Amino acid sequence: MSTSTTTAHDRPPAYEWLTPSPREQIGWDVDVLYGPWPRHHRDIPLAEVRRRLDRSPVCGALALSTRGPLFDDRAGNEETLRDLADCPELLPVGTVDVRDALTAENRLDELAAAGVRFLRLFTVEQAADPGFPGYRRVVDLALARGMVLLHDGDPRRYGPPLMDRDADVVFLDLHAYLLADFLLMAREEPGFRVTTRMLSGPDSVERVVHSVGARHLVFGSRTPFMDISPLTLRLRYAAISDEERDAVATRNIEELLS
Amino acid sequence: MPIIDVHAHVGHWQFHLTCGDADDNLRLMDRYGIDLQLVSASEAVVYDAVAGNAALMKELASRPRLYGYAVVNPNRIEESAADLRRCLDSGRFVGAKIHTHYPGRLPGSREMAEAFDVVAEAGVPLLLHTWGREVTQLPDMVASRPGLRVIMGHAGGDAWREAAHAAASCEGLYLEHCRTAADAGRVAYAREAGVPVERMLFGTDATLIDPCWSLGVLRDAGFTPAELDRVLWRNAAALFGLEVPA
Repeated sequence: MSTSTTTAHDRPPAYEWLTPSPREQIGWDVDVLYGPWPRHHRDIPLAEVRRRLDRSPVCGALALSTRGPLFDDRAGNEETLRDLADCPELLPVGTVDVRDALTAENRLDELAAAGVRFLRLFTVEQAADPGFPGYRRVVDLALARGMVLLHDGDPRRYGPPLMDRDADVVFLDLHAYLLADFLLMAREEPGFRVTTRMLSGPDSVERVVHSVGARHLVFGSRTPFMDISPLTLRLRYAAISDEERDAVATRNIEELLS
Repeated sequence: MPIIDVHAHVGHWQFHLTCGDADDNLRLMDRYGIDLQLVSASEAVVYDAVAGNAALMKELASRPRLYGYAVVNPNRIEESAADLRRCLDSGRFVGAKIHTHYPGRLPGSREMAEAFDVVAEAGVPLLLHTWGREVTQLPDMVASRPGLRVIMGHAGGDAWREAAHAAASCEGLYLEHCRTAADAGRVAYAREAGVPVERMLFGTDATLIDPCWSLGVLRDAGFTPAELDRVLWRNAAALFGLEVPA
């Protein structure tokens, strides 16, 4: 079948998107892992993760070994601290297994002693609901220590119990389809943030920035398990100011680190 | 260098997104240099296939850069068969689209088999929403209908490994990788599984998803310029018989 030709239209320079631009520069990626993950078709060690980041517009990242969430939280935290000591572009993130919350206090003290500010929770892998005693214990202890939670799972379920607690939380798994629920919470919670990882809609980023402010959005890629370029391109082309883009890409996390 | 997007939609979605009429599609196409876009009506996908296809026909009439997929509802097969013929006769529709989630029918069901028969009889490519391990049934379903060509929209979703092996085993199957959760390594895995670059297509899911998402997946896939040319437009032009602007 042959169809009619199209009408002329203005084209941007050919395949402009193929070359990264300065507007894709990311200061901090909050969602980076390394190490074995049995369900994936192959494992990706730290050296390869660093190579991927080095080839990308991402300059720095908050990272941890998969050993902690999947197998042994204490050994995983030790491994993360040891491995990342020689990686100036990577800051260590800690974790506590919510299935063994009786040891959480020790884990959190160890992390605090090592200067770790971010605690990543893996409720999906560890099958924890918001009402489970172990999960609640870990969250209580972490918030009491002023830690920032990097939180997986559905924010519609985990967000409400974290409200009215002055919590700093970064939700890692918000899908664009669920954005309205997050925005309703963010209106009341200055410490609630979401990553760009699944904000794929044509104006999802803009809706966060323009309705509750750029301070509620940070960059998170889930390297090495997800492609980076879709996310950096989305920020590059987002209808937000350069100042707002810088907040999302860099400044919001620097403020949490300071 | 042209770009043809083989997986897009026109119309409203039930989520917190700005997407409305076909001019939204054109604005996004202009931003990224997409020349042609093959679209189905969101209303037809989600709610009423015949009414949505009819509304889309009106939108297409004044927008030559858009071509239509007529949505076929496997639960309304006689009605959809007649509607597919009506849409194709307009000259502005070039294929059929079947979703699996909204009608609740998967490959392997009697209704989906009948819908495949209808599309094979019409002789146009089928864009099928694929999202699960039922993709393993597609090679047999396609091979038993000579001439049928099926684009596996979303390349199987979470079942992208199974989709890759299905496509590798059947010349009538094409992969199109748009999806929000852009799992790394899907394209490389498909190529290692034996899917030739000639059966990979570019799709975006616009305006549900911003087109830069799929462009980013292609950037990270590391295609050579010649391969990129094939994926971005040559394969689609050949499959649908489309001409693109010089």
